[in-house]
Amino acid sequence: MKIYILCAAGAILFLLAGCTPETEFYWGDYSSTLYAYKKAPDDKTLATHKKTLNDIITVSAKKHIPVPPGVYAELGYLLIKEDKLKDGLVLLDKEMQAYPESREFIMKIRSKLQTGAQQ
Amino acid sequence: MKKIIAAICVVFLAGCVPATMTKQQYAPLMYTERPVSILVLPPINKSTAADAKEYYLTTVAEPLANTGYYVYPIEIVSDILKQEGLSDTETMMNVPPQKFREFFGTDAVLYVSILKWNTSYLITSGSVTVQIECELKSAKSGEILWYYNDVVEVNTTGDSGGQGGLAGLMIAAVATAIKTAATDYVPVAKKANEKIFLAMPSGVHNKQYNKDMSTIVEVRKKAEKK
Repeated sequence: MKIYILCAAGAILFLLAGCTPETEFYWGDYSSTLYAYKKAPDDKTLATHKKTLNDIITVSAKKHIPVPPGVYAELGYLLIKEDKLKDGLVLLDKEMQAYPESREFIMKIRSKLQTGAQQ
Repeated sequence: MKKIIAAICVVFLAGCVPATMTKQQYAPLMYTERPVSILVLPPINKSTAADAKEYYLTTVAEPLANTGYYVYPIEIVSDILKQEGLSDTETMMNVPPQKFREFFGTDAVLYVSILKWNTSYLITSGSVTVQIECELKSAKSGEILWYYNDVVEVNTTGDSGGQGGLAGLMIAAVATAIKTAATDYVPVAKKANEKIFLAMPSGVHNKQYNKDMSTIVEVRKKAEKK
């Protein structure tokens, strides 16, 4: 009897181990929608890729896991290009908060934006 | 005489058999320098597949970030590099990594050449064979922290749902052809990248950080040094 219990416990542990996600990040359709956009950049493929980025942020929050590196920044950058400066900058700040190592890079983007605005 | 033949055989075989070593042995500098962020440069495409570069660039961030590194968003990086008048990949390859640190603050730079991007069709299976040469250089010292040059094969066989007989074979063949030819290679490219980064020590954002020194990597002997 004990052996059965042990086996069952072992089996449950094995199954649980299989369920543990290998990676901590949720990426959704990131690569596919980015590729589609790169291949044929238009409003539709851009909208789809932005939807993916938004989806990654929402799902990660729901799962209580960090948003993958670069996702806040990429969406922020796209918004800034569409003249949604305020929303874009909020996202760039979020990238910096989530990944302090991105600080210099984000500052670079910001300074580029300023020189762009002055021209 | 027998001994000499045996010795020759051993030397001969050693050249073909993939070597196994620990991550610590394979890339010791990764553990001493511990880079946190990686800047991926657009690859040089030496393969015959015109799309290989795009496939690579759109699928590299995911597995590399999952390995635990901060990966600079590739789209923004290439935009900025273009604005700086640096859009030619060949030129970029000759820019020392320290320059990228000055500019972006990165710890390391990944220089990539796509050597092979071949697709093959068999009756019931298709596969993509990719050979990529990667050099991760320290943006502080310029030293090579990690190097990879190997052939990675990913199967693209269509899942026919287990239909038997000749009809099943036909369906499987059609499914494979469609899958290999028309639909996207994105998942395949991602798998190839995943396989490549298995040989890289984990970064700070991965649970295996600092725990994978004794993890075995399988690499060709020639990949050890350059």
